[in-house]
Order: sequence, then C-alpha cells, then structure tokens
Amino acid sequence: MIAWLTAALLSVVVLGVAMTFVAYLTWIERKVAARFQNRIGPYFVGYPHGWLQPLADVAKLMIKEDITPRRVDRVLFDLAPVLVVVPALIGFAFVPFAKGLAVVDHPYSFLFFVAFASLTLLGVFAAGWSSNNKYALISALRMVALLVSYEIPLLLALLVPAVFAGSFRLVDIVEAQRGLWFAGYPVVGQIAFLVFFVAMLAESNKSPFDLIEAESELISAYNVEYSGMKFALFYAGEYAHTFAISGLAATVFLGGYLGPSFLPGAVWLLLKMLALFGLVLWVRWSFLRLRIDQALQLNWKVLFPLSLATLVVAGYWVATHAGAR
Amino acid sequence: MRGVATTLFGSFRAMGATLRNFFRPATTVQYPKVVRPIPKQWRGGTFALTFDPKTEEENCIGCRLCEYICPSQIIKVTLRKGDKRRSGQGATYCDVFTLDFEACMQCELCVQVCPTDAIVMTRFLAPCPYERDGLYLSKERLMDNGRRLLREPEQESFATGNRLREWTDAERGKPAAKPEGDAT
Amino acid sequence: MPEIEVVEREFGELALNMGPQHPSTHGVLRLTLHLRGETVVRAIPGIGYLHRGVEKLSESLAYDQLAPVFERDDYLGPTANSLAYCLACERLAGISVPPRGAWVRTLVAELQRISSHLVWLGTLGLDLGGALGGGTTLYMYCFRERERILDFMETLTGTRFHTNFNLIGGARYDLSPEAAKAAVALADRADAMLSELHAMAGDSAVFRGRTEKVGVIPRELALQVGVTGPVLRASGVRFDVRRAAPYDAYPELEFDVPTRETGDALARYEVRMDEIAQSARIVRRIVDRLPPGPVFSRKPIKNPKATRIAAGEIHAAVESPRGELGVYLVADGTAFPYRLKINAPSFRNLQIVPHVAPGLLLADVIATLGSLDPVLGDVDR
Repeated sequence: MIAWLTAALLSVVVLGVAMTFVAYLTWIERKVAARFQNRIGPYFVGYPHGWLQPLADVAKLMIKEDITPRRVDRVLFDLAPVLVVVPALIGFAFVPFAKGLAVVDHPYSFLFFVAFASLTLLGVFAAGWSSNNKYALISALRMVALLVSYEIPLLLALLVPAVFAGSFRLVDIVEAQRGLWFAGYPVVGQIAFLVFFVAMLAESNKSPFDLIEAESELISAYNVEYSGMKFALFYAGEYAHTFAISGLAATVFLGGYLGPSFLPGAVWLLLKMLALFGLVLWVRWSFLRLRIDQALQLNWKVLFPLSLATLVVAGYWVATHAGAR
Repeated sequence: MRGVATTLFGSFRAMGATLRNFFRPATTVQYPKVVRPIPKQWRGGTFALTFDPKTEEENCIGCRLCEYICPSQIIKVTLRKGDKRRSGQGATYCDVFTLDFEACMQCELCVQVCPTDAIVMTRFLAPCPYERDGLYLSKERLMDNGRRLLREPEQESFATGNRLREWTDAERGKPAAKPEGDAT
Repeated sequence: MPEIEVVEREFGELALNMGPQHPSTHGVLRLTLHLRGETVVRAIPGIGYLHRGVEKLSESLAYDQLAPVFERDDYLGPTANSLAYCLACERLAGISVPPRGAWVRTLVAELQRISSHLVWLGTLGLDLGGALGGGTTLYMYCFRERERILDFMETLTGTRFHTNFNLIGGARYDLSPEAAKAAVALADRADAMLSELHAMAGDSAVFRGRTEKVGVIPRELALQVGVTGPVLRASGVRFDVRRAAPYDAYPELEFDVPTRETGDALARYEVRMDEIAQSARIVRRIVDRLPPGPVFSRKPIKNPKATRIAAGEIHAAVESPRGELGVYLVADGTAFPYRLKINAPSFRNLQIVPHVAPGLLLADVIATLGSLDPVLGDVDR
C-alpha cells in the first residue's frame, strides 16, 4: 500500500517536472538555435529573455480551432497524438534519479523503456495513414522504413552497457558505472555511444533525419492535417521523446545520477540530459537533411555492422573477464 | 560504402561554423527600441509638399509632370491659375493634389521631374493607418507633412528634384562629386 | 492553361500535386508529379500563377516610365531587367551612355548578382534542410551577408532593393568616394563569407550527398532545350552574354566565366559560388578604374510622353543572375512601345524539369528545382 502510494506520488512529481521541462525545452531550442544563427530568439514574452514564450505557445494552441478533415479515419486520427506523447512520458517512469529511487524499479526496466519508446512509431504511422492526405501517406511510408530500421542499431548499441553491467535493471546499470562511465570505455564505449547517438537522432526525427516531417518537401507531413491541441501534443511529444531518450542515454552511457556529491543525483541527471539535448541541437542546426535511401544506407551499411561488432566485442570481453561478476 | 560513411561523419566543418557563430554577438537590431541610422536620401518615407522658406508659399505650380511620369499613375493634379506669386515665379498653383500611397512603388520619378522641388519623400514613415483611406494622401495632408516633418535641417530630405537632376546632369564632368549627406 | 489532371494513370502510381502553395517551389509553381514509390515517373510544371501582364502594360506606358516597372519582373535581380530594357531603348534610339554611367550600372548589376546568388543559396538550404534544421542556419548566414549589400544600396540610392537605378541614357545616382570604399569593403567581405558558406554547404558531406549526381543535365539536352545561365555553364557550355555580346563596362573588364562539366546540382552550386567570387573581383576592378564624367547623357526628363523612339525593332540581352535575359523591342515612332517581349531565363530553365525529373527521387526533385534557381516572377512575367 505504502509502496503504491509512493509510486503514485513520485509519478506525479516526475510527470510534472518532465512536462515542465519539455515545455521549456522548446524555449531552450529556440534560443540556442537563434544564437547559432546570430539572432536573439524569443525575447518579448517575458521580457527580456522571452522565458514566458512556452506558456504563450501553449495558450495559443489550446484556443485554436481543432479542424478535422472530413474523410479521415476518426479513431486513428484522434488516437495518433496520444500514441506519440504517452510512450515518451512513460519512459520517464523508468529512469532512476537516485539509488533505488525510480517510479518503476523493475529487473527489466531497461527493456521496458526501449519497448515503450518504439510505440511512438505506431502513433506517427497512424497519423500519416489516417490523414487522408497524399503527403501524409508518403511521410508515413518513409517513417515506417526509417524508424523500424533504426531501432536495430539503437537496441544493439544500448545492449553494450547492459552486457557490461550484466543486468537489465537500470539502477544496476548506473551502479556499475561507479568506476568509469560506459561511454568512457576504450573504443567499445565510444563507438557504442556514437552509434546510439546517431540512432537517437533518427528515432526522434531530428536533422539530419527529419525527412519524415521534412517541412520543405512534405510540409511536416504526418501532422499536416492536425491543428490546435492535437498538434501541440505532436510537438510536445517530439520533445518529450527526445528528452526521454536522452534520459536513457544519460543513465546508460553517462552515469545517470552519479556525480560529485555537492549536487544531488537528480540534478546531475538533469544536467547530463540537458547536455545531450544541447548536443542534439548543435547537430540539428548544422546539418541539412539526408534522403531516405541515404539514411537507410547509413543504417544498414554502417551503423548495423558497427553496433553488431561492438556488441560481439563487449560480449567476448565480459565472457573472458567473468570472474569479477 | 565509404561515401555513405563520410556522409555524416565528415561534415564537422559545418558544426564548427555553427559553433563559431554561437559565440558571436547577434546581428538583430531590436526595432523599435533600437533604430537603424537612416541614410540621408532614404526613399521610404511618406510624401510632402514643400514650401518656399522665404515667402511661405507652396512650391507646387501645378505643372502635372509628376502625374505624367508616375508609372503607377497614382498622382492626380489639377492646375489653378491664381494671383502672381510673391517670389515672382509665375502665377499657377495646384488645385487638387492627391497621391494614393497604397500603390506607390517608391521609384522617386515624381521627385526627379519636379521643376520646383515641390514634392519630396521625407525620412518619416507614415504611421500605419487602420483603413485604406489613411493611405490616400490629400493635398492638405501633404502640405501638413511638409510643414511638420521638414522643419529641422536634419529631417530635410536630401532627394529633391534639383539635387537629383544635378546628379544626372549631362554637363557634369567632375569625377565623383560628393553629394551632400552620404553614407554614415 | 490546359487543365492538368492530378489522377493516377495506373495501379501503383501516386499522383502528387506539389501545388502552387508549397514551401519549396520558389514561388507559385505547380508541379504535378506522378510517383512510383518515391521515384518520379512524370513531372509536369504548371505556371501562370504570377502572370501580371507586364508586356501588355508596357504598351500603355511611356519609355521613361517603364524602367522601374521592369525591375519587378525578376524580382530577385532587379537591375538586370531594367538594364536589358534600357539597353534595348538606347540601341534603338541611338542614345550613347557616358562611360561612367555604364561602369556604375555594371557595379550595381554585379552587386545585385551577388545578392541574388545569396538568396538562391539560402533558399536552397531551406529546401534541402528544412525550416527546422541546418538549412535555416545556412539561410540566416546568407541573408546576414546580403544585408550588407542592401545597406550599401540604401546609402547609395535610398532604397534597398528595387532601386530604379537604370535610366535610358545612363544611371541615376553617382558613386561618391565613400560609396566606392564601401563597395570595395563589400567585395572583400564577399570573399571572406564564401569560406563560411562553403563550410555550411559545399564542404558539408550531407549537401554533397544531396546534390552530387542529382538532376544531371547532359550537354546536348541543355543545348536542345535552351537553358541559359549557370545551368548551361554547369553542363559544359561556356556561354556568357557578358562575353558573347558585351555591354556597358564588360568589354574592358577581365573576369573568368566559371564552367563545370558534370551538369549536376553540385556543379550548378559551384558555378554560382565561383560567380560570386568573380563578381567581387569585377566590383573591385570597377572601383579602381572608374572613369570620371557624367552618368547620364540626355537632357533632364520632363514629360515622358515627349520621348519618342523612331520605328524599328531591336533585341538586347544581359546576363541576369539566372541567365540570358533578353528584351525584344518594337517601336513605332510614338511615345509608347508597340510591343515589348521579354525573353525570360527562368522560363527556359524550367522547361528542363519534365526531361530531367523522371527517375529522380522526390527529394531530388526539390534539390534539382532549387539548383535551377527559378524565379516565378521571371517565368510568368
């Protein structure tokens, strides 16, 4: 009973913090992107730095008319934004903030996280399919090819730290990094982290992989027929997905809540997530977009063999040094 | 395969350029708190009919040259024969002078042909009106602009008919003569 | 305009209307694509959405009034249009332009060429990279550089862009020593900025992957269809109106005409970037050797209806940033042209799309269209 209440309270706190962060991630992104382009970004709402801009955006999207085209598949059309946002938010439940402190602390929490993160694929496909729009259809087809393909190096790269730690429990994986972060492991750790980073960019549809919502070709196709709060859910879902996966990356590769004790572990985790998000922004605002066949070639010809090789090497190393476990 | 591998990993020069620009100051001019310096011969402001500083009479003699040259045909002028001017320069005035600023393309040809420097483009943007009639400049409005906006010497428009014609004077042989008030 | 039906012709084909409202069609161009998967099988451009009747309008306006009107034709390279028109009138009427006027006109034309190519590169970045990605960064850098050119035009003429600079008989504004120094500073800046733009675009492997071997126009096809400008020069034909039929200051200026052999989008990009460097070189040369004298050779313009050109016909062409822009003028002795036909480069460059598009992926069509640099004002007039 007490455990159930603790979990409920913790989940409310985590959800609240996560949603606030997701809203302010849009502000961070706009400011950082503006600085990359010698601009200022939003500065008026909440003068002088525009820090109230996310509130203004949310308010605007809430009062917008929710236009639904006539011949869409109503069930899928209404379900799609939910399917995009909810799995990303569920991911926050598995990330540990301190030793033994996570909303869900399960022996297989790592696998659950990855499984839920792949559900957003269904949401995007439902949006593209149900929109009764040829552009949305093209985007949905591209998306299926891309996201399904990039799941594989994502998972294989994530398995490397799990193999090193010997467990699928996220708290165990963090505790195993007390000596050295997994991203710091010579060669194997770096390659795994790099492969994971590229796959993470693809999964969150960030440049150079934003070809499914290519604003200049398909006019952000899979959500082109959405307006108002549903579009806000897609928009927030994209940021929530990125933030959640960077949360997973910080936990699995960068040591999670570990850090010098002058700051609590949760703050270290947040700092690492923000640093990863900043790296995603830097890459996003520097690169043009890859074509679908180039992205798929990159996946199958480069990332997949690399991640497979890394996993094999990691497994061999663990198997030959099994005495310490 | 090699080409695909270098596609993503060989583009770090772009990231370097972005990072360099991250630390440069922003080039945004935060209008209206900061106003860019307006060059002396700026052609974006509203129109004005000028007055002779000595005799306080309007300069327009109703010759209709601006009406004939305007490519958008937005100026309408009618001639009125009146009493002799105090300056001695003829006895014609303009009765009706209307300029539809809505269709003006700011080509400055009307200023170029005016023989008496009557019509000029000021350095003040007209405040944005809420109705279309606000852009239809009547003679009273134009003369009011001329009285109000051209009072101070530095508000005076550089481009008057005579100065523009001096620039395109075919007899002008001096190499690159410096017109008054140039790039700041 | 015959109705283009956006209907699938057979099973397995998708008919997509990249309609007049699209972020990447460089204006209101309607591109009807028939796709099989992501591969284009058929592409039909539909134009006319920006037709303003400039040629008909010119039959009711006097000669002196028309120069600012034509600047709005190809609205991204304004002085080229009015320059073509003024050249046609001058040659037909036998009006000679003083050397300083010709040189100052060339200076402004070359600066506008740099500005137009910067717009092209920025919008190509937007097409390839998107509004929420690296393309916008390239776009912002290009426009930041372009602001300097526009500020220079503002101090020289009073307006930033459609400056109404050319008159029949010369130029309208003269170049003071400060303006000359500012022009040289712009030319130096052009060289400096090219390295940054190359880092964002040409050296970036993603850009090269999107433009290399994309939209290849073979030399024979280019000559058959009649493309002009950087598109033609990227396919291996060294043709530039500034060399073939020189006008204004070009007979006395040394500059290279960049050419490439491959004919793909990357070649067109490289040709245009080289052209920016060459334009900077020309600007410096002009400022060094600007001859003294007046800039205008006729009496001051009074009533435009007094200017009459004797009956005759003439064709005059200039090298606009998009290619060969020609004006064919038929005069009949009155104060109004009898017929004025504008030979638009973007119109001819756009004809290549149905020949080149089949076989390309959808993303490649965008890259090809961007590399052709069509301006719909030029296409539709």
